[in-house]
Amino acid sequence: MRTFWLALAATAMAQPPDFQRDIRPLLAKRCLACHGPDEHSRQAGLRLDRFDGATKTGVIVPGRSAKSRLVARVTNEKLPMPPTGPRLTANEIAMLKNWIDAGAASANHWAYEKIQLPGVPEVKQPDWPRNAIDNFILKTLEGQSVRPSKEAPRNTLARRVALDLTGLPPDAAAMAKIDNYEAYVDALLASPRFGERWAKVWLDLARYADTQGYEKDNKRTIWPYRDWVIRAYNDNLPFDKFTILQLAADLTEDPSVDDLIATGFHRNTMTNTEGGTDDEEFRDLAIRDRIATTGQVWMGQTWGCAQCHTHKYDPLTHKEFYQLYAYFNQTADDDHPSDRPVLKLSKDVSTLVLKELDAYKRRTTRIYERGNFLTPGEAVEAATPAAFPAMPAKAQNNRLGFAQWLVSKDNPLTARVTVNRFWSRLMGRGIVESEEDFGTQGTAPTHPELLDWLAAGFQKDWDVKRLLKLIVMSAAYRQDSAVTPALLEKDPLNKLYARGARFRLDAEAVRDQALAAAGLLSGKLYGPPVMPWQPDGVWLVTYNSDRWVTSQGEDRYRRALYTFMRRSSAYPSMMNFDAPNGETCTIRRIRTNTPLQALTSMNDPAFMEAAQRLAERAAKDANPAAKLFESVLLRQPSKTELQRVQQLHAATIAELKASPSNAAKLVKYSEVLYAEDRESTLIPDARTKPREWRFKTSDPGAGWNTAEFNDSNWSAGPGYFGYFNKPNESTPIKSAWDTDQLWLRIAIDLEAPLPARFKMPIRTNSQFDVWVNGVHALNNIFERGGHFDYLLNDDGQRAFKPGRNVVAIRVTRHGARGSGQVFDPGLVASLPVKLNKPSRDEFSRAAWVVVANTILNLDETLTRR
Amino acid sequence: MKQVLANTRRHFLQGGSLGLANLFLAEAQQKPARAGKAKSIIYLHMAGAPSQLELFDYKPELVKYNGKPCPDELLKGKRFAFIKGVPNMLGTPYKFARQGQSGAMMSELLPRFSKLADEVTIVRSMSTDQFNHAPAQLFMHTGNSRFGFASMGAWVTYGLGTENQDLPGFVVLTSGGNNPDGGKSLWGSAFLPSVYQGVHCRSHGEPVLFLSDPEGVTRSMRRKTLDAMKDLNAMERERSGDPETDARMSQYELAYKMQISVPKVMDISKESPETHALYGTQPGKTSFANNCLLARRLVENGVRFVQLYDWGWDHHGTSKRDDIEHALKPHIAECDQAIAALLTDLKQRGLLDQTLVVWGGEFGRTPMRENRGGTEGAFRGRDHHPYAFTIWMAGAGVKKGLNYGETDDIGYYVVKDKMTPRDLQSTILHLAGADPYTLHYPYLGLNQRLIGPTDEGRIMKDLLI
Repeated sequence: MRTFWLALAATAMAQPPDFQRDIRPLLAKRCLACHGPDEHSRQAGLRLDRFDGATKTGVIVPGRSAKSRLVARVTNEKLPMPPTGPRLTANEIAMLKNWIDAGAASANHWAYEKIQLPGVPEVKQPDWPRNAIDNFILKTLEGQSVRPSKEAPRNTLARRVALDLTGLPPDAAAMAKIDNYEAYVDALLASPRFGERWAKVWLDLARYADTQGYEKDNKRTIWPYRDWVIRAYNDNLPFDKFTILQLAADLTEDPSVDDLIATGFHRNTMTNTEGGTDDEEFRDLAIRDRIATTGQVWMGQTWGCAQCHTHKYDPLTHKEFYQLYAYFNQTADDDHPSDRPVLKLSKDVSTLVLKELDAYKRRTTRIYERGNFLTPGEAVEAATPAAFPAMPAKAQNNRLGFAQWLVSKDNPLTARVTVNRFWSRLMGRGIVESEEDFGTQGTAPTHPELLDWLAAGFQKDWDVKRLLKLIVMSAAYRQDSAVTPALLEKDPLNKLYARGARFRLDAEAVRDQALAAAGLLSGKLYGPPVMPWQPDGVWLVTYNSDRWVTSQGEDRYRRALYTFMRRSSAYPSMMNFDAPNGETCTIRRIRTNTPLQALTSMNDPAFMEAAQRLAERAAKDANPAAKLFESVLLRQPSKTELQRVQQLHAATIAELKASPSNAAKLVKYSEVLYAEDRESTLIPDARTKPREWRFKTSDPGAGWNTAEFNDSNWSAGPGYFGYFNKPNESTPIKSAWDTDQLWLRIAIDLEAPLPARFKMPIRTNSQFDVWVNGVHALNNIFERGGHFDYLLNDDGQRAFKPGRNVVAIRVTRHGARGSGQVFDPGLVASLPVKLNKPSRDEFSRAAWVVVANTILNLDETLTRR
Repeated sequence: MKQVLANTRRHFLQGGSLGLANLFLAEAQQKPARAGKAKSIIYLHMAGAPSQLELFDYKPELVKYNGKPCPDELLKGKRFAFIKGVPNMLGTPYKFARQGQSGAMMSELLPRFSKLADEVTIVRSMSTDQFNHAPAQLFMHTGNSRFGFASMGAWVTYGLGTENQDLPGFVVLTSGGNNPDGGKSLWGSAFLPSVYQGVHCRSHGEPVLFLSDPEGVTRSMRRKTLDAMKDLNAMERERSGDPETDARMSQYELAYKMQISVPKVMDISKESPETHALYGTQPGKTSFANNCLLARRLVENGVRFVQLYDWGWDHHGTSKRDDIEHALKPHIAECDQAIAALLTDLKQRGLLDQTLVVWGGEFGRTPMRENRGGTEGAFRGRDHHPYAFTIWMAGAGVKKGLNYGETDDIGYYVVKDKMTPRDLQSTILHLAGADPYTLHYPYLGLNQRLIGPTDEGRIMKDLLI
């Protein structure tokens, strides 16, 4: 860093410093705390965030640094500025001098200027552009003497635009139109899959999740809001209305039930239900989150920075942050575990909504000194920040008015930020790369006029489908993504858009595409979140006792956006492919490339199941290899590709012949996977008709846990074992146990082939160890009490044998003596899938499963190109 | 991993794009690091913030004032998480004694670690500016109290790469039944390329999710699929000209190697009974002790940065479950044995000289007894206290038997040799062989650094050999 600054300073000496890049940040960092927008801490009436006063009073004399008192003070040895902290460095002083000597030019930040509709530029190659977007792109390319790329091949483009607009490969309705690009695009825009795809993009911003967050992370019902977003996109709800309903439907005249559901947007903030937390503290955090999120989503502003102090770089004072706070401070929700207020939609479903407080309950909003909610200062009234145009004339000064202000024609940011976000999803990068920051620290637009042309058009009708269609119809969008070494060197990041974008698919699309290609994907829209297959134990990381119970039927194969989203324990394959966990608003996902992704798409049973189904379909085809390519990549393989795939198929058959059981497992992969579908209770517990165990409350001596041990002199009785502090009618104790330890034994008979995936449903508040035929099968160091399924360890799973088996348990009380103790054991296992000796055909099919797994992992498959 | 790194760098130099990274990396490319004294780092974070006043920072004056109301000047303008009104002072109920040549004062709760007083540098003058768990943990490990910044382990592996090509360079292990409050962001790579993010290894089931081949797929079948994938990807690479395809294939090869190397290193069952007795470890459990032993195995195998989070140190005293008696005592007993074992074991194996071990929480605990809701409960505990807390460091490049820094008579403020998280970060990077001031990554118009935008973080030369 030091050397970097030196280098920068050296440059600064040579040419006048740039105000935006060099001077504004320096002043912000070193001066504005006392000479900034914040009138309370302002010293000597001097502001250095604007310069009218400073130039009038001789603090800055443009062109003459020697006469400027600013320079005199920062170089004064006895009374230096700033008076505390380190002195300005020689380089910083030199930079200030050079800037003043060069005229002390300052400028408004581009993004705060009103949006003006720019003219469409003339170009030298008029036959390339298909619409105005292309004139802007081509104009820049011509300036750099770079030629645009040719159009992508038909099927490549068809796959690209289907993945972009619907998050899936094209469905049959779209495929029927593949020869007419515009009709094909229209079919995609009309598909219900369109709303699902763009809803997910929006839900990242809305920090949507199905749990409350923080430590306990309990379930909450807010999926009706998710469904509202899907419908809004499918119905092409204009973006201004989309905005107003989400932020303030409750304040609009006569809102419908649907409108009110939209306010769930800001009810996605987290709720802390941990014992002893101050509800007001977390209500306050939720309000701050709403302001920060609103600022980022609609205006690309980092307003959250101003909660403790005036924004260092952008025009939002500490006071103004709390004036924004005042708009959001009058809702009835207050970080209560019940998540009230809710809107009742049916007998079973209530969803979280915003509700304005009654007039007599209105809160006074105060500035929190240094952002601390325990040190409230001056009271403030709701107001929009002074740096932006005022509220629309007819708007009320409340949350509704604020929402209307966001989408007013005078707001310089909302339209720019929004079109930029849509553009980025389709074109691979934003015109402003820092989609989340349009402030002075954000990146400059690569095509400012194009951005404004799109924004000005969008402001006219706020028509999202029209905007998306405009982009995908452009020649710029349709370009081939192949890149020459020369172009790669000139423009590695594709800032010029001289080629089509090529990037890895989003987490959801990686999964959904695999399911779609396999013919597994359910088309069911809407409804409560679902629980597709997930590895055992992923949900056991927190105190929460909610269980992941694998969904039934088609709910196992719903689109990824319907997967239950738990903040503290997100669905693993989504996390590995960079999906956010809903803790904070995520404007853009940072795309990564890691070995964990490779492990996921190769080994995650969900992907493997897709491979099996895909192979089944392909194997019926005359040319299975070609069918695999067509199903996944929407194209025919080349001759070399075909040969390579067939070679892999042949080699895999050879491997499988050496281990036929693997072939048998592969052709029945899905059936084997869903062990829960074949579960059978081997030892019933107290919930039904508990079996009798042999038990002892004093040390039975060596060998007690082996199969051979003679337990005939032990007591006999069923669960519950233990005693309750208070009599509990619903769970009566059947076998009294009040000592420190308890020893249990039971014998069960099993037939070959043995069941699998043995687990013990156990209700207890104690710790325990389990042995199967003398083999240690489970150790539970006490983490929390409750009724849970405990999966036996690998040794334990293998210890069962045909014939008589003995399960032995040693229980050790965890809590204090006299505080109540209970133990109720059961045993459940999954009946085996009958695996036959594979036929010749099945060897071949099993090998196609492995090939399909390979095809699903190709770079091309994982990439939108 | 080294190979991946080398590939990565080559692409950048060729002007290609890779993953999330951009061309700036070439410009930001770190000079070959000088050899750091610490080849590996083990960072033991006690999530929740253990009480320095019960463990390391002995305050007889505070004991004298036990039960007396807290003076007004200590409360004015202060924010506490839970303390309301005027709390009473709380002297520690535990005995302290001088230990070893260094004469370090340590609590009776640390019987084993006390014996290693002459191996460690104890810093009693840590001070932070965050007093809630998640922000304070984020500040400690990412240099920023908000979400979205790269973690220390990511910075270290970014700056220095890793020694073992078959294991991730940055491994995270958690215990205590919960992830730390700051969540997975504490080991994220944020704006740094994702190869530098921490890999969270589990001690139940597969150490890394989806590490095993699917049922029915053998390792030799997997090798053949990878070979086919490589050939098919090469054709796509030829068509597209995109170097990202090569990077993806490298990740698949690394994944293939990890399938063997990770389970091997994560299996502690082959360790000797003596070792298990030393640490208090039991194979198959999730425990801090197991993680300490795993940390030794990982650094032994060339992992650069091993980050442990042990949850459950937030002793507020609201109930028996979080007081400084019933809850702290058993927890510190497990911890005491494990940290003493780790240092002893590293030393016996000659690894301590090249491994930096850091232990600490995200802030300290108040000298006052917490009075949640304004009334004193039946159990004793302390609220969050950012102004003063204790950490210790040992191993590579760190002085042995040093007592550094002092707090006032009641342990409220630091009065001598204050050290901040930024100082600690600077010092750790320095020991690892990176220059904390120049190790940076350009992102969104700023040169991001672990130690933040200003140069206030100091390399604590006083602590170093």
